[in-house]
Amino acid sequence: MKRTLAQAVDWYVRLHDSAVSDTTRREWQAWLAADPQHAQAWQRIEQLQQRLGQAPAGLAGTTLEQARQQRRAAVKMLAMLLGVGVVGWRGYQVSPWGADYSTRVGQRRHFTLADGSRLVLDTDSRADVQFDGTQRLIVLHQGEILVETAKDTRPLSVQTAEGRVLALGTRFTVRQGAGISRVTVEAHAVEVQPRLAIGQTLRAEAGQAVSFTADTAGPLLPAVAQGSAWTQGMLVVVDWRLEDVVAELSRYRHGYLGCAPEVAGLRLSGTFLLDDSEGVLANLEDSLPVRLRRLTRYWVRVEGRAA
Amino acid sequence: MSITASDAAPHAHLHALYRDHNSWLRGWLRHRLSNSADAADLAQDTFVRVLLARSSGTLQEPRRYLATIARGLVIDLYRRRSLEQAYLDALMARPELHAPSAETRALILDSLLAIDRMLDGLGARTRQIFLAVQLDGLSYEKAADRCGVSVSTVRKHLARGLMHCLLLEEA
Repeated sequence: MKRTLAQAVDWYVRLHDSAVSDTTRREWQAWLAADPQHAQAWQRIEQLQQRLGQAPAGLAGTTLEQARQQRRAAVKMLAMLLGVGVVGWRGYQVSPWGADYSTRVGQRRHFTLADGSRLVLDTDSRADVQFDGTQRLIVLHQGEILVETAKDTRPLSVQTAEGRVLALGTRFTVRQGAGISRVTVEAHAVEVQPRLAIGQTLRAEAGQAVSFTADTAGPLLPAVAQGSAWTQGMLVVVDWRLEDVVAELSRYRHGYLGCAPEVAGLRLSGTFLLDDSEGVLANLEDSLPVRLRRLTRYWVRVEGRAA
Repeated sequence: MSITASDAAPHAHLHALYRDHNSWLRGWLRHRLSNSADAADLAQDTFVRVLLARSSGTLQEPRRYLATIARGLVIDLYRRRSLEQAYLDALMARPELHAPSAETRALILDSLLAIDRMLDGLGARTRQIFLAVQLDGLSYEKAADRCGVSVSTVRKHLARGLMHCLLLEEA
């Protein structure tokens, strides 16, 4: 039946054309008469047309598009579903040149740099900013930052233990991991230069993410949606393993937060409020077959319910 | 006697379900909607769905089941609100159109809601082209202009959209 439906759709698309010929119409009639299943399939198309026709002419398309766009602020919707509000943009702080920037566990800070670029530090992060007459350099020692570059004649780059990321008029995040750095590009592009791979650069475009070690970069991967949601205090995940969500949440808390192997592979999607990890954990208990085992405030493990 | 007993059983279950979980469910919803009137409404709707869906038997994980249904209703409510707002905006933008009565508006919203649900899962491009041709009644050429694509792309996406809707009815 699916094949017949596809044929019917094909006929509809041809007949609906303003330039449809009489020959096409005759051929369609012959097809229609050839098999009762053809007629049935065609009837389905007509029923669909009737249903679509109940919507107000001229307004329906716009209305549906508008509504969809509203909802495409999907972050908001997910946030609502999981019972968290949307966190407003934090206040900026203007900092002097050459200062050290750092955050404590669970903290996030927004800065505007001397050239107007924006720097956001995620939890437990540390960075130095070194601007001079020829270059703008941000040295990331630990954690994750988001950089939004302002226009300037001097190039801007971020240096990690593994190499450099050169900004090409852009917004991107860099995370310093253990022996590995990760870049996610949100706008325009960056060039990644591993420290030991002299002369080799890799260009990552908006929507791409790339990890690199001291001697090699790549492969380019599609960026995780909402990779910079943390700048607004949220973690947005789509079809992640529970283990990974828990690991990510644990970066924002003191003490141990872990996940038992029997539930590590459970999948989930949602928006989590990073500042309220207790609430997020309670939510997990609501929506997944898991329970929390607490020894102290600083030792929490997500386990299977039967355990 | 046996007829009465088996007849009463599902209602007894529902009664127990309501008694044990209603206030929890309302709290769960209030947490998500930040509006207690909506939360109370949706809690009632959730139990109505349970009543309609289940004939008998006890639930293994009642709260999880209730939360699943309630979550669907929250999405529907959100969908309806966003459509209603977009529709009112569209009406305001076209003052020459006669404003429909509240009753007509409710019917129109229902049909928009059904169509919107039907189009879930379509890609943005397919959706845009499908709406232009099927709901705004544009010719392939005009739709191609509006969406900035070729006429053959319009045909392709229109076919894809139609197929999606037809298969959906089948499921």
